[in-house]
Amino acid sequence: MSLGAVGALILTGCGDADAGDTPTLTWYINPDAGGQAEIAQQCSEASDSRYNIETALLPLDAAGQREQLARRLAAGDRSMDIMSLDPPFIPELAEPGFLADVPDEVEESTTQDVLAGPLEGAKWNGELVTVPFWANTQLLWYRESVAEAAGLDMDQPVTWDQIMDAAREQDKYLGVQGTQAESMTVWVNGLIESGGGSIVENPEAPADEVSIGMDSEAARKAAEIVGTIGRDGLGGPGLPTSTENTTMIEFQSDNGSFMVNWPFIYAATAAAVEDGTVDQSVYEDIGWALWPRVDEDEPSAPPLGGINIGVGATSENQDLAWEAVECIVSPENQANYFVTNGNPAASEAAYEDPAVREAFPMYETIRESLDQAAPRPQTPYYNEVSSAIQQEWTPPASVTEDTPRNTAEFIEAVLKGDQLL
Amino acid sequence: MSTKQKVGWAVVSVLVLVYALFPVLSILMTSFKTPSDLTSGKFLPKEWVGENYSSIFVGTARDLFVPSLINSIGICLISTAIAVVLATFCAYAIARLDFPGKRVILTTALAVSMFPVISLVTPLFNLWRQIGLYDTWPGLIIPYLSLTLPISIWTLTAFFQQIPWDLERAAQVDGATTWQAFRKVIVPLAAPGVFTTAIIAFFIAWNDFVYGIGLTSTEAARPVPAALAFFTGASQFEDPAGAISAAAIIVTIPVVLLVLLFQRQIVSGLTQGAVKG
Amino acid sequence: MSTVVNPNAPGTEPGSLAPAPVKGRRSARTGLSDRAKSERKLGWMLAGPAFILMLLVTMYPILQALWDSLFSFRLTDPGNKEFVFLGNYATVLSDALFWKDLGVTVLITVVTVVVELVLGFALALVMNNAIRNTRGLLRTAILVPYGIITVVSAFAWFYAFDITTGYINNWFSWLPGIGPDFNWFASQWPALFVIMASEIWKTTPFISLLLLSGLAQVPSEFTEAAKVDGATWWQRMSRVVIPNMKAAIMVAVVFRALDAFRIFDNIFIMTQGQYGTETLSLLAYRTSIGRLEIGLGSAISVILFICVLLIAFVAIRVFKVDLAGSGKGR
Repeated sequence: MSLGAVGALILTGCGDADAGDTPTLTWYINPDAGGQAEIAQQCSEASDSRYNIETALLPLDAAGQREQLARRLAAGDRSMDIMSLDPPFIPELAEPGFLADVPDEVEESTTQDVLAGPLEGAKWNGELVTVPFWANTQLLWYRESVAEAAGLDMDQPVTWDQIMDAAREQDKYLGVQGTQAESMTVWVNGLIESGGGSIVENPEAPADEVSIGMDSEAARKAAEIVGTIGRDGLGGPGLPTSTENTTMIEFQSDNGSFMVNWPFIYAATAAAVEDGTVDQSVYEDIGWALWPRVDEDEPSAPPLGGINIGVGATSENQDLAWEAVECIVSPENQANYFVTNGNPAASEAAYEDPAVREAFPMYETIRESLDQAAPRPQTPYYNEVSSAIQQEWTPPASVTEDTPRNTAEFIEAVLKGDQLL
Repeated sequence: MSTKQKVGWAVVSVLVLVYALFPVLSILMTSFKTPSDLTSGKFLPKEWVGENYSSIFVGTARDLFVPSLINSIGICLISTAIAVVLATFCAYAIARLDFPGKRVILTTALAVSMFPVISLVTPLFNLWRQIGLYDTWPGLIIPYLSLTLPISIWTLTAFFQQIPWDLERAAQVDGATTWQAFRKVIVPLAAPGVFTTAIIAFFIAWNDFVYGIGLTSTEAARPVPAALAFFTGASQFEDPAGAISAAAIIVTIPVVLLVLLFQRQIVSGLTQGAVKG
Repeated sequence: MSTVVNPNAPGTEPGSLAPAPVKGRRSARTGLSDRAKSERKLGWMLAGPAFILMLLVTMYPILQALWDSLFSFRLTDPGNKEFVFLGNYATVLSDALFWKDLGVTVLITVVTVVVELVLGFALALVMNNAIRNTRGLLRTAILVPYGIITVVSAFAWFYAFDITTGYINNWFSWLPGIGPDFNWFASQWPALFVIMASEIWKTTPFISLLLLSGLAQVPSEFTEAAKVDGATWWQRMSRVVIPNMKAAIMVAVVFRALDAFRIFDNIFIMTQGQYGTETLSLLAYRTSIGRLEIGLGSAISVILFICVLLIAFVAIRVFKVDLAGSGKGR
């Protein structure tokens, strides 16, 4: 790699670099079904040997990805050319200047048709620090047979209370992620935002001044929903350890009813049908709607996820890296990635693609959901905030009306350095 | 031996075998299950499939598993080799030569083996990133020495004290220097002990997890135990229990082979010849 | 976790850890002969590299951790590094979470060591008395858990008990409280049970091999004599065999205790410390590597190290375990 860098220096200004002297850009990717590696190859080929992108795999869970990236960035690693970043962790990396500024022309060319939710998640302190690549959002998935039996009109927005009642009456399990992991924060944040509250009121404040907005009606309502699902066994016995994957498996079983989850489940269920491990009738029984409302009169604020692309401030090939980023996030690549890897595009144009519309009949719902979606707290201390929520809100059965206030006190004590996490 | 006793021994032996092998068998079964079969709640696979193995060698998990397997093998072999060579010199000196500080060396080895690995990871990480050893082979080989050196020194010292040293003296009387006596006479006698020590040291390096996750971040140096925590299904949310199990079985094969081939040596290495036969 | 040094050196009393000091080769007091001098030099030349390397890879990091623990330092906030002296220690020691994790660590240590001792002793007896042709087979079998990677063992036990992938619930549904709906990893005690089971399975062979070598050193005349005197099996064990291998037992206990105290891999794989299964090693990992709080994490690491030293110290002083090998011959 250093050889490539030296080569790049020698050949500056020289147009026809042969393959051996092509600078190598390292792209740290989150695990996927191979889509990013494919894009890396295509962009390298399209670059006419100006650069060659190599991918390096990050851990499976979001916290693990952040851990690896933060440690490398803090170490001033020069190979941090391109990074796939989970939006909640962007402020922590942007604040100490680990991320390179997005050049104006790149900002212009990559953000024109990006949906509002994902674009907001790409900024820190009002400045664009990363470029949205794909955007995820959770939908409410349901078994049409169960909804029908419960007499729910799924064409109308439904509330958490309604689906909880339906699951209780039909003696089925609700699919929610109750394990002590990032997915718990996703759920809690979605509930609080849907109820009109916010976990962190002043996300840009320094550590000792962060104010946690958990002593609110919205947070108490969220605690009531989580606690009731836990205590009444509505999430099934697996709830305290349930992840996105295990809830999907439960949803596909005879116990399935309603589930909040990311769109990957649709492609995964289709694949399972093909493997003969899930019945075709189950697949056909799946319906979708916007994330449930907390307040029946207020639209919900569905969870927002996805991946943004950033460039390391210590990268030796920043200009080339941004050039590569422009290629990576092109609407065609986003549409293609959506179809092949099941990860929804951040670009509005991708939703016009016929292939997308065919593979994801719920594309309209996804786009609508992305417009309504609320990001998780954008603070440099997100890791602390999220870990504290995960600890205080699990197992779900232990959540009471005191949980929000305890969480707020806990987070504030941790951020002041008075308490361990 | 009476029939009753024979039956008794057979029962006891079967119990011990079940104890020792059941968890291995359990994960072996998991490795042959299809994704839907994973949730069947049964011990045996409904149908036996090799797709988990093909996924780690030629399929989607290949880029994760194969490099980490090469890393594990390379890093463990090198750190074992270094540890055994250094420990051989060290143990020979302790067993045979008269010099002050022997006890200090043995006590240090003991203390080092008691160190909580987790206490070493963060400072090593900070140093490694400054000097460029983070996420490289040497960056793991060096800390692995803290695991493999102490046990090698102790085991070898014990081995060397069993060697009939009169032979060495005889060689010295014949005019050989201490060094020559060591090389010509002692090395052949010591070889079995050195070999045994190498196996035990290799097991310990092979088992490492904390250094593996703490001091690497890409396939450049990530060993298998750390890589197992990185496996993914078709999307980032799917849990690939089948592929993990298959990879777990693959890294268990060398262990089983070494145990089958060198059971006697390993036992004597661990118990130091206290058990005869 | 790493396994510790082999505690039974030849030529020493059972349980003495040190290889026996070399006898009868001491140079004359008055002045060293050339030969003795060159032997000293050669000794250090041969032993030096290993010694220095061991010091470098452990002493340097622990000193660095000691230094780092005096600062408030977050890796992603390098601008605010601040000297807080013992502030981090005060934070850690005054935190209920630390004491809870310490409690879990001690509990795991005590339970696993006791169970392993009993189980290991039984295995050692079986191997000691087994007829010739099964002896090799049994030893080969129990070496499998010894050699297997802890992470692999953790996955094996996890997948067997996990509510989605497991079969244990089906097998043991006749037991009260266990059924298809029992979630082992959703609360503290069942989760700790599985974690400890995996730990015990993996490390009992080591203990049993140590005890086996201890058993072999009990003079057979003693047991024979007791037999002639009409002692029952139980009396022979408790009055003759066990007292005679007390030193070997103590050494095995201390080494396993020190190892169990550092338990990490099993918990990391199975629960990541959730639902009351976190130990000190996990807390240190989560703080310094997960949260990137280098100062606070280093303080926990140093405390963990001191705990290990204390266990070793207590073992040596109170139980008179001959760890450092001041062999009885001296």
